[in-house]
Amino acid sequence: MVRVLAVLNAVWRAVRRGQGSFASIGTNNFLIFPAYFLRQTGTFLYLIIALLIFFPLSADPLRKIPRERLASWPLDRRELWILRILSPWLNPIMWLLAAATVWAVRRSVTWQLLGIVAGLFALCFVLSDIGGGAWDALARWVPGFGGVLGELIRKNLRQMLSTLDFWCALVLSLGTTIYRVADRTAPPEAFLMMSLLIVLALSSYAQCLFGLDSAGGITRYRLLPLRGWQILLAKDAAFLLVSVTLTLALNPLVGLAAALTVLAVGHEQSVKHLRAQVRWRFSTSSSLGNGVVQVVGMFIVGNGVARTSVLLMIPCAAIYGISVWWFGRIVDRSGK
Amino acid sequence: MISCRDLSCRFGDFVAVERLTLDVAPGSICAFLGPNGAGKSTTVKMLTGLITPSSGSATVAGLDVVRDALKLKRHIGVLPENLGLFDDLTVEEHLDLTGAVYKLSRADTRDRSNQLLRALHLEHGRHTFASRCSHGMRKKTSLAMALLANPRVLFLDEPLEAIDPVTAKTITDLLVTISRRGTTVFLTSHILAAVEQFATRVVLIRKGVVAWNSTIEEVPGSLEKLYFELVEAPAAEDLAWLGSSQS
Repeated sequence: MVRVLAVLNAVWRAVRRGQGSFASIGTNNFLIFPAYFLRQTGTFLYLIIALLIFFPLSADPLRKIPRERLASWPLDRRELWILRILSPWLNPIMWLLAAATVWAVRRSVTWQLLGIVAGLFALCFVLSDIGGGAWDALARWVPGFGGVLGELIRKNLRQMLSTLDFWCALVLSLGTTIYRVADRTAPPEAFLMMSLLIVLALSSYAQCLFGLDSAGGITRYRLLPLRGWQILLAKDAAFLLVSVTLTLALNPLVGLAAALTVLAVGHEQSVKHLRAQVRWRFSTSSSLGNGVVQVVGMFIVGNGVARTSVLLMIPCAAIYGISVWWFGRIVDRSGK
Repeated sequence: MISCRDLSCRFGDFVAVERLTLDVAPGSICAFLGPNGAGKSTTVKMLTGLITPSSGSATVAGLDVVRDALKLKRHIGVLPENLGLFDDLTVEEHLDLTGAVYKLSRADTRDRSNQLLRALHLEHGRHTFASRCSHGMRKKTSLAMALLANPRVLFLDEPLEAIDPVTAKTITDLLVTISRRGTTVFLTSHILAAVEQFATRVVLIRKGVVAWNSTIEEVPGSLEKLYFELVEAPAAEDLAWLGSSQS
């Protein structure tokens, strides 16, 4: 039993550290700004966030220990079974489910709701064991692009797909697109606002574009005979592609203008403050000030393009171009 | 081909490399040897433009490593200490990226990639993401990237470590062949016996300072003996608890 407790202790430490990374949501533009501006009317946004966090949070805690390491330890069959039974209780969702079961007995929660949540948890728990293969399959679907930057763009797209920011934006995009198809009388202003919300969900990622490139990736950037602006452009191309695709059925021009704005502002944080990010979490915004400028800027530009003139895209693109050139120079310098 | 004059690198008060002066002729294989933390990787980083020297100067292929950093990158191939791979690209995609960035045609990239993957026994893992590769596979991928664009100078940081014997032999044969064709190779390693077989110049470094610099023919006796004498002798620590009884 001493060995089991030692292993559980190690797993608990790893789980606690892993859960610390969920705090990233606290510095994500998508949580901060709806919380401030929308308050109670933003409940649906919080539900989306909660649902997205639920998936990685439901992972099997025992997976924190590599299989080979666990197999190499002198644990007998009985001890492995005890570990298997006790380790799920290191996951806080298990305790919530236990509490919900008590509430269901007391009829505060319906058995149907409990069944759905428990089913989802069980599914995520099992999938966390086999999830790697599914992700590989999805990542292989990302197409290659020609040209000098083609493979970098492909890589950057895969990185974006492994953040909860993207999945949050996708849920918003799919939900609004279905609504648009179902209700043709819906006002176009709604789609303008939803396009902006989709880019808002992605905006924190624009502040940490290099966050998912490990130390090896950063080294490779420094070794490639590419200019800093080319490296930034490859990052931005992936971001713009995702933003325009997700707003395609709503207001792609507004999506493009807002995306250019958040990138132009976010370059400063991305380039000067390399901050490692964790996959399957929301991106962390490293500067509240930069986030404010991003969000205010994208709402002004997006509304301007939609309500005033498409020609506003020209200064918007020009400012973006200057940002890429300027911060590209900083990337060049940091590589020497 | 490689020339350093009083090249130094300091991190605060810590001196990683102290006034390194070195010349490596074209077509030679220079083995840069020393214990962990001696300054080998720091030197490679300075010579490949990854970090700026604190003082001194260096040229590689006639290009200043600070002033002409971008031009330099077009002429060198590097196997860096941390391998420099992207987790989100497969082995083959890394080679496609290298081919595109070094402006090789698609056909050339494909041909050279296929040959390198075969030579390095990487064919079976060509579609594996770097994040799922073993350390050996990752190292071979990084080496293939360094070779793909046919560089004038190769910088290899511990190319033989964590590599299976057959591939290690392939790599050493490959290095000897390309050096005879004029490519300069600058490598670091801890495998003295292997290095002794194919290096043409040996530089020993200890605590950032060159302790020995000569051609391999000028090394008196074995390289290992010289290394233990000048750089570091094995510690004779007796771990009495090891093997005495089961606990």
